[in-house]
Amino acid sequence: MTGLFFWLKYGVWLYIIFSLSIENFIAQDRPNDGGSCIYLSWQGIEDTLIEGYVILRRTISDTTFKKIGFSGRLATNYEDNSVRDRERYIYLIAAQKQDSLYYHTMSNIVQSSPQFFHKGRLNILIGIIIFFLFLIVFMSQAKKGAKLFIRKIAGLDAVEEAVGRATEMGKPILYVPGLGDIDYPSTIASMNILGELAKKVAVYENPLIVVNCYSVVYTVAREVVKQAFISQGKIDKFNDDYIRYLTESQFGYAAAINGIILRERPATNFFIGPFFAESLLMAETGNQVGAVQIAGTDQVLQLPFFVTACDYTLLGEEVYAASAYLTKEPVLVASLKAQDAGKFLVLIILVLLTILSFLNINFVSILKAQ
Amino acid sequence: MKRILPLALCLIIGILMVCQFFIPHPVSTQFNSIINKWVVVLSAFALVLGIGNLTNHHAMTIKRRKPDWQYSLVTLLSMFLMAIIGLFFGIDEKSLYQKIYLNILTPLGATMFALLAYYMTSAAYRAFRARSLEAGLLLGAAFVVMIGFMPIGQFIHPQFPNFAEWLMRIPNMASQRGILLGVAFGSVATALKIILGIERSWLGGRE
Amino acid sequence: MKFFQSLTRIDRRLIYLILTVLVILPFFLKFHLPQNIMPQTKRLYDFIDGLVPQENKAALVSIDYTPQTMPECHPMAISILTHCFKKRIPIIGISFDPQAPGLAIEAFNTVVIRLNACATTKNDSIIYGRDYIYLGWKSGRIAALMEMGEKISNVFPRDYYNNNTDSLPLMQRIKNYRDISIAIILAAADYPQEWLMYAQARYGLKLGTGLTAVMAPKYYPFLQTGQLSGMMSGMKGAAEYENLLLKSGHTTETGKAETGMNSQTLVHLLIIMLIIIGNIGYFFLQQKKEH
Repeated sequence: MTGLFFWLKYGVWLYIIFSLSIENFIAQDRPNDGGSCIYLSWQGIEDTLIEGYVILRRTISDTTFKKIGFSGRLATNYEDNSVRDRERYIYLIAAQKQDSLYYHTMSNIVQSSPQFFHKGRLNILIGIIIFFLFLIVFMSQAKKGAKLFIRKIAGLDAVEEAVGRATEMGKPILYVPGLGDIDYPSTIASMNILGELAKKVAVYENPLIVVNCYSVVYTVAREVVKQAFISQGKIDKFNDDYIRYLTESQFGYAAAINGIILRERPATNFFIGPFFAESLLMAETGNQVGAVQIAGTDQVLQLPFFVTACDYTLLGEEVYAASAYLTKEPVLVASLKAQDAGKFLVLIILVLLTILSFLNINFVSILKAQ
Repeated sequence: MKRILPLALCLIIGILMVCQFFIPHPVSTQFNSIINKWVVVLSAFALVLGIGNLTNHHAMTIKRRKPDWQYSLVTLLSMFLMAIIGLFFGIDEKSLYQKIYLNILTPLGATMFALLAYYMTSAAYRAFRARSLEAGLLLGAAFVVMIGFMPIGQFIHPQFPNFAEWLMRIPNMASQRGILLGVAFGSVATALKIILGIERSWLGGRE
Repeated sequence: MKFFQSLTRIDRRLIYLILTVLVILPFFLKFHLPQNIMPQTKRLYDFIDGLVPQENKAALVSIDYTPQTMPECHPMAISILTHCFKKRIPIIGISFDPQAPGLAIEAFNTVVIRLNACATTKNDSIIYGRDYIYLGWKSGRIAALMEMGEKISNVFPRDYYNNNTDSLPLMQRIKNYRDISIAIILAAADYPQEWLMYAQARYGLKLGTGLTAVMAPKYYPFLQTGQLSGMMSGMKGAAEYENLLLKSGHTTETGKAETGMNSQTLVHLLIIMLIIIGNIGYFFLQQKKEH
């Protein structure tokens, strides 16, 4: 009887231990990826003595589980990136407590596969389509001859005056397209402004100095300026020395520009593009030699420095508006209007979502992009 | 043809790269990887052009003995010396290249960075004048933040540092986010305009 | 009129000269400006001060700053190491930035030499392997952070001096995050973000951080939620910690952060004075023009 009682008690304990499992242990193909990944999730155990969770795996054809990973005691998910697509797997999770494993739980059978569309980015796609539609609407209005209004941008109005000043003084114009490589949108916008400026420089026959941080930007700037001179019929006035490659080192670039400003004494400086900590170094040196300075950047942290040291500053998106503003081409102005319409729509959505959140209705997740 | 080919190439690759963003399939990521490798290769070729331009410019300055030609000599000598040392003696942790980088270039960079203190002082003195209401507000905000973040700010009023921090965290952050939103739209619009061939300044403008 | 005009046109060379003098002065003339201690610095200090050596846990210090940010972050490292050693809390040092190991070794050597100069017995001394170890630099931050939750020596099988990590006396009782009382990240980049995502969120590891003044505001929300147990923000934070160590008697003098803050304070005062002088001159000139 004693023996029976002992085995009953032992059996009950065994039953309790093995019937306890980790709840909601689910294995699924990770969504919105290129395959080769299984996402595991489970409900954590409220036990501060456990060190973490051991993850084991086997294929359908294997007989034994092999350990593939370990996750912390507060973790409730794990990503297995070592799977093969279309191979079927089973997972086992167990809680580790002082080198022993407890609460073994098996998952469903799962296989990974690549997806053709990232559903988490659907909201971005919808945004691009809406913006595209705005573009089409305003462009068709522009082609029909509708007058589209843009407000005054003082920095861009001053370009003509600045070039004229340099011509009168017989001094060069310095153009700094910033410290970004060609993949920065503001560098591209800067190249657009450089193109328009180069046309005016070609007409007035000013010396121009364009200093570049990256070699790809150097080659693009060279082509832009050369094409501008060709378009004005002044290719004989184009000088290769107008466009210079300096260095990719941030402060080396700033030091070189300071040297150019102090030696060549330009009448007008343009700082348009992405700038970082070196912005004030260049702007203040230009101020010391008495140059007229027009700056523009989309790096918000540098805007205060340009505002204090330069005569005109293009704030953020005004850099992107420059091309349309300077050429006044209806199609380009239409794109500006599309930009503004897009911003207005975003403003309405933000106000609506804010009001809804006060009523405890939360749709902020629709704006999240993965 | 001279303009059609670059425009067509820009359109096709631009659309493909936009589509790539929405397609997680391995074929798409491989395409992205190949394009990125091409960018690196093109940058390497462009670097040759850039170094050629730099060398040519400074060599001409030295040859014609233009004013301050000595700085051009220093520039060319430093550039070629570092290249030779790196190429022939290695760039690992204990190499001469690393020693020069850590003991000359890094302190020079730190020196340039330190100049910011001087330039900020002179810029603040010159620019922070209460010429208008907006300039006055700018001036007031600058005062509050500077004093609030100094140790003595707390002794003017115990809540001064908290107010300065609130100013940085709320109105400042709100206006930064407003500009960032505009910049984001501007970036998207510029990219779309170039992909679709609406913006052609990079080709020398419209014919 | 001329006087007010001169107030608006002070020669910048004079301004630069005064600025230079004010920056250099605190290095020669030691003085103590009263510091208000920010709550986040106090929280970090109190947490470390509350640690007891009898718990048999170590502090993990991740030194991830670069020579460019040494003025802000190096005094933080010196203060944290001093505090832990004074409390006899063992330290495990690691780095995830390739430029950091040299600075980490310098920080450890500075503190250890200074404390050992006052030690009288072997027990009082700070001995490598027993009281602290430095495991060096590791790439692949995220994988390393996750793996250290299982076993630290899996990530760093050898220390910086090429000793077998498991053979070191300290590592006989320190296996993984469960044996770490707090991890303190001293960085000039976004490294604390990953510690929060992986080490804190998954393993419940207590975190503290010392960051440059520019990076610090980004982590205020984590202080509010308690995910960070404390934070030193820039050179000011480092100076505050030095003052706390001085007040509690752990040190007899403040360090380079307070000297730097004194320079910074004097420069700020100069800027404020110059702005006031410039505006006074401008105001009176405008008045005269109107008349």
